Amino acid sequence: MNTMIQRLPWRLFLVARGRAQTSSNKLFPKETFPMTAAGTNVIPNTPDTIKVPQAYMDLREFLAVLEAEGQLVRIKDEVDPEEIGAAGRASANLKNGPAVLFEKVRGYKNPVVTNVHGSWANHALMMGMDKDTPTKEQFLELSRRWDMYPVPPTRVLDAPFKKNIVTKDINIFDIISLYRINTYDSGCFLSKACIVSADPEDPKSYGKHNLGTYRMQIKGKDKLGIQALPFHDIGNQLAKAEALNEKVPIAICLGCDPITTFMASTPIRYDQNEYDYVGALNNGVPMQITKAPTLDLDVPAGCEICIEGYIEPRVRECEGPFGEFPGSYSGARLQAVVQITSISYRDNPIFENLYLGIPWSEIDYLMALNTSVPLYKMLKDTFPEVQAVNAMYTHGIGVIVSTKVRFGGFGKAVAMRLLTTPHGMSYNKIIIIVDEFVDPFNLEQVMWAMTTRVDPDKDVTIIKNCPGMPLDPSSNPPGMHNKLIIDATTPKAPEIVSRETELLTPPAGTAKWEEIIAKLVKQARN
Amino acid sequence: MICPRCDTDKVELLVKSPVGNVWEMYICKTCTYTWRSTETPDKTDPKIYNKKFKINPDAIDKMLVIPPIAPLKV
Repeated sequence: MNTMIQRLPWRLFLVARGRAQTSSNKLFPKETFPMTAAGTNVIPNTPDTIKVPQAYMDLREFLAVLEAEGQLVRIKDEVDPEEIGAAGRASANLKNGPAVLFEKVRGYKNPVVTNVHGSWANHALMMGMDKDTPTKEQFLELSRRWDMYPVPPTRVLDAPFKKNIVTKDINIFDIISLYRINTYDSGCFLSKACIVSADPEDPKSYGKHNLGTYRMQIKGKDKLGIQALPFHDIGNQLAKAEALNEKVPIAICLGCDPITTFMASTPIRYDQNEYDYVGALNNGVPMQITKAPTLDLDVPAGCEICIEGYIEPRVRECEGPFGEFPGSYSGARLQAVVQITSISYRDNPIFENLYLGIPWSEIDYLMALNTSVPLYKMLKDTFPEVQAVNAMYTHGIGVIVSTKVRFGGFGKAVAMRLLTTPHGMSYNKIIIIVDEFVDPFNLEQVMWAMTTRVDPDKDVTIIKNCPGMPLDPSSNPPGMHNKLIIDATTPKAPEIVSRETELLTPPAGTAKWEEIIAKLVKQARN
Repeated sequence: MICPRCDTDKVELLVKSPVGNVWEMYICKTCTYTWRSTETPDKTDPKIYNKKFKINPDAIDKMLVIPPIAPLKV
């Protein structure tokens, strides 16, 4: 049996789910719609038959588990809409901050939840792991599941969000409790929407269907703005449609199951369908998709709200500023516009949105390990010497790679490969390469490697005039980066090795003394 | 009414609160800024609105276009 799976704390997860399912809370009713299997699923591609719990099929199942685990709090008193952004910031400031559910928002009908992914505890629970699981273990587990791709979704006809639909006199405010997130945002924004679109030149292609998260400004009762950057998949699709002066049909899904939302912000190849990865990251359990009510698009069946519409071709309008993930406001730009044609929603739909600000806030957890793992896989494909990738800093603008070094200059070559990956090309700006014995998730170790391995004269390289991330305020002009490579690996021949370096090793008995001291500390504190 | 951000008077009522009559939201048809009547003055008062975030209506047409609009295929 796979040892990694044996080590997973499924028991805890099952206990939590058991409690969740018996919850009498009216916000989390167990709705009856088709599941893939009852109770358990079998992973098809493991050597032994391993039973795992049913993955979360919707947001409500996950919220119930978070609450049972003490990782969700409820605000029962009525709040002003703008309090929600402050609460999202506040919860992310706490160690292992919980999701925050607002039951009553002044002037609105429906609840709001924020900070759902906003802690390592919630991130671990999303994967069905113990909430205390260290970050590196979560990385390794995510990496293992990544290799299960593809796990195609199950198609279902009906879904809870199809119960209510509005196609005339649309008023988004009637359904969604919208609010300004940061003080100088230009209005209310959807910051955590899963947006589904197709390739205009190949609309029937399943692989080219895109699921992505792009910020959306509320510009009317039935009108939105969308940020579609040229290197985003939706930017690619919009460019193709605009060349033909055609609309881009889109479905904007809010309040999806946590892995679907996670995958919507994960960089993968253009011709790969995110839904096949959701099944993989759900440990082999397929997700459920259904046809959008009015458009020929596949959407997550479990979502709370599905907004359908289209991006107007060749139209741009003032959008922003918006407080963005690099911790600063974007400028105001002329950006694309969306016309809403229908909104479908569950009874009492929960609006899930996130706070983003100076890192770390919820968005950083949504672009941490899911940025690290795909970059790791792409590097590992050509350089099996690579041990781990930590690309958790502002969506991979900062990256640390640990690798074995075969010969002089090897570390620099690994860095340059990173800069030729689809995501790394635009996002990665500061790249630190460390030896295989340095844990890239342990920043003290990384600093040790930099302070003792780097000769600034030969180990620091700047590559000028490369693609960049325009929201990075240092990107000049916006969309261009100069790249920095710091090779903090130990020199190897034929590079000149000025002197041999022998690493210190722990004295014999260190492990034994760790146990003794830890026990004494525990006794002293009790 | 004047837009707190771009100081033009092309302001419209966008929506009234769906429950009760507790707030209205307005939209500026020039710069698309929206604000709620119950928000604090730093978001609603043109005189107090942070100058760094003010927008000159004449500059809107010259803003960066994202993404660039592809040429039409013939």
